[in-house]
Amino acid sequence: MSDTLLSVENLRVTYPTRKGPAEVVRGVSFTLGRERLAIVGESGSGKSQTGRAILGLTPKPGIVTADKLSFDGIDLRGAKPRQWRALRGARMSMVMQDPKFSLNPVMTVGAQIMEALAFHGRSSRAEKRDRALAMLEAVQIRDPKRVFDAYPHEISGGMGQRVMIAMMLVAEPDLMIADEPTSALDVTVQVEVLRILDQLVSEKGMGLVFISHDLRLVSTFCDRVLVMYAGRVVEELKASELHRAQHPYTRGLISCLPEIDTDVRPLPTLDRDASWAL
Amino acid sequence: MGLLDVINLDVIFGEAPQQVHAVKGVSFSVREGESYGIVGESGSGKSTVLRAICGLAPVSGGAIELGGREVVSPRGRDFYKTVQMVFQDPYASLHPRHTIDRVLAEPLAIQGFDNREERIERALSDVGLGPGFRFRFPHQLSGGQRQRVAVARALILEPKVLLLDEPTSALDASIQAEVLNLLDRLRAERGLTYVMVSHDLAVVAHMCDRLLVMQHGRAVEELTRDALRARTATTDYTRQLLAASEGYKPAEPK
Ligand SMILES: Nc1ncnc2c1ncn2[C@@H]1O[C@H](COP(=O)(O)OP(=O)(O)OP(=O)(O)O)[C@@H](O)[C@H]1O
Ligand SMILES: Nc1ncnc2c1ncn2[C@@H]1O[C@H](COP(=O)(O)OP(=O)(O)OP(=O)(O)O)[C@@H](O)[C@H]1O
Ligand SMILES: [Mg+2]
Ligand SMILES: [Mg+2]
Repeated sequence: MSDTLLSVENLRVTYPTRKGPAEVVRGVSFTLGRERLAIVGESGSGKSQTGRAILGLTPKPGIVTADKLSFDGIDLRGAKPRQWRALRGARMSMVMQDPKFSLNPVMTVGAQIMEALAFHGRSSRAEKRDRALAMLEAVQIRDPKRVFDAYPHEISGGMGQRVMIAMMLVAEPDLMIADEPTSALDVTVQVEVLRILDQLVSEKGMGLVFISHDLRLVSTFCDRVLVMYAGRVVEELKASELHRAQHPYTRGLISCLPEIDTDVRPLPTLDRDASWAL
Repeated sequence: MGLLDVINLDVIFGEAPQQVHAVKGVSFSVREGESYGIVGESGSGKSTVLRAICGLAPVSGGAIELGGREVVSPRGRDFYKTVQMVFQDPYASLHPRHTIDRVLAEPLAIQGFDNREERIERALSDVGLGPGFRFRFPHQLSGGQRQRVAVARALILEPKVLLLDEPTSALDASIQAEVLNLLDRLRAERGLTYVMVSHDLAVVAHMCDRLLVMQHGRAVEELTRDALRARTATTDYTRQLLAASEGYKPAEPK
């Protein structure tokens, strides 16, 4: 396997709307190795749409085009449903932004994790159950047995998010796209969940695309950061150098954050410059 | 006595032996015009406290008082005119087949408000969404845009008390700043009272005068903003929260 896991060149996603086609991802390019790459950017800038397009999960009637979209040497453009089935869930997976919406409301949490385990070779029911419980424990769920038997509406927001992560992790994918995976977690649990992701990257060589709006977190957790604005990548930085960002949008984002120790009221907001979207 | 009093609240889901005792003897009192925060571990019962206030989770013990009077079950129309909630899970709380216009128009119709057109446009622009979003469906919005619709839906009824469950956790920093500023301004202008759940201590420090820390269904500590800033936490858990707020630190090499 080469060092580049994923190459994306000139990725575009377009939806027809009443006012004509709307391009929500407009020529995104990047490569990903066995590292933690963050995508940050404002709400609606195309982060989730980028992630979904890579996994072939763009909903109809959206149209995806790219000059290159390859995962471990496999051209994903025009991949057949059979190829996707072999890849998705097993080798590449995505933790969706709305955990409760992505979970099946009429199936228990345990049944859903065991279903995800089915991708991962043959094992007995009892083995699967043990794996699933171990996974729930690994993501810091305190009473894994109860949560295993619970339905999605019976668990808290942060538990739902961790269940989604557990489901994606059981298969130990080579590529994981995690869309705001820890946004509903309190910071103490968040740290534990990030450690698991960190371990998969450093020990198993997984490639991680970490979509987030939490700049403080990204600057301490990731290796590189792509900053998106209006469907484009406007800046790419080393995560540790986020504070040295050049683009006025990135700089603005950083100054909008409230802090425990200072009382700035109202918080600075961004004056969006029309030229940023060009 | 405050405007909203939660007195020794217990919430128990289900029947024995499958019972979940989600909230255990939690009390707090929120004054009129105050902004009160709840932080704590995931699964500690924060959302359940808000849901119990709204009549969406069972009050198994204790009481909830609004303006000094115990609220009735089921909560009446008047209650929802006074108290509105923004849910943690905006996708699940927006009907997938209703346009944003309908999401906003329905509560106005139920509560018999006039000038609906104007109110809808105003509510959308208040949360930074242009008129172009009005006739979209929830699945045609990004996560943060959906969250703003949920805030708009609660504000449109001009409640006195707003219960906010992680109102900005799905938002990027710039939109978060806009929503927090909006909430701040509305509180000043309309004298609103907030109870706000968040796992982001910086957001709570910015928005709330006092905050409650929850763990395992219990209230473990109540702090003022100044105490939070001075890091004078008295429990281990609050200290851990403060430490973890500094960002991610890789585990110590073994
Ligand atoms: N089905 C659709 N039809 C039309 N437009 C859509 C559709 N789905 C998404 N969009 C639009 O595409 C843009 C990008 O959405 P995306 O979900 O990628 O944003 P995001 O960067 O993930 O934002 P957030 O941080 O709020 O989740 C948004 O403006 C959104 O309204
Ligand atoms: N309808 C229900 N039936 C059974 N148990 C429930 C139900 N709703 C919530 N619970 C349980 O109650 C506990 C508290 O949940 P709650 O949603 O209040 O947590 P939270 O503090 O808001 O967490 P988070 O920060 O993750 O959102 C959890 O253990 C959850 O599984
Ligand atoms: Mg998104
Ligand atoms: Mg909650």
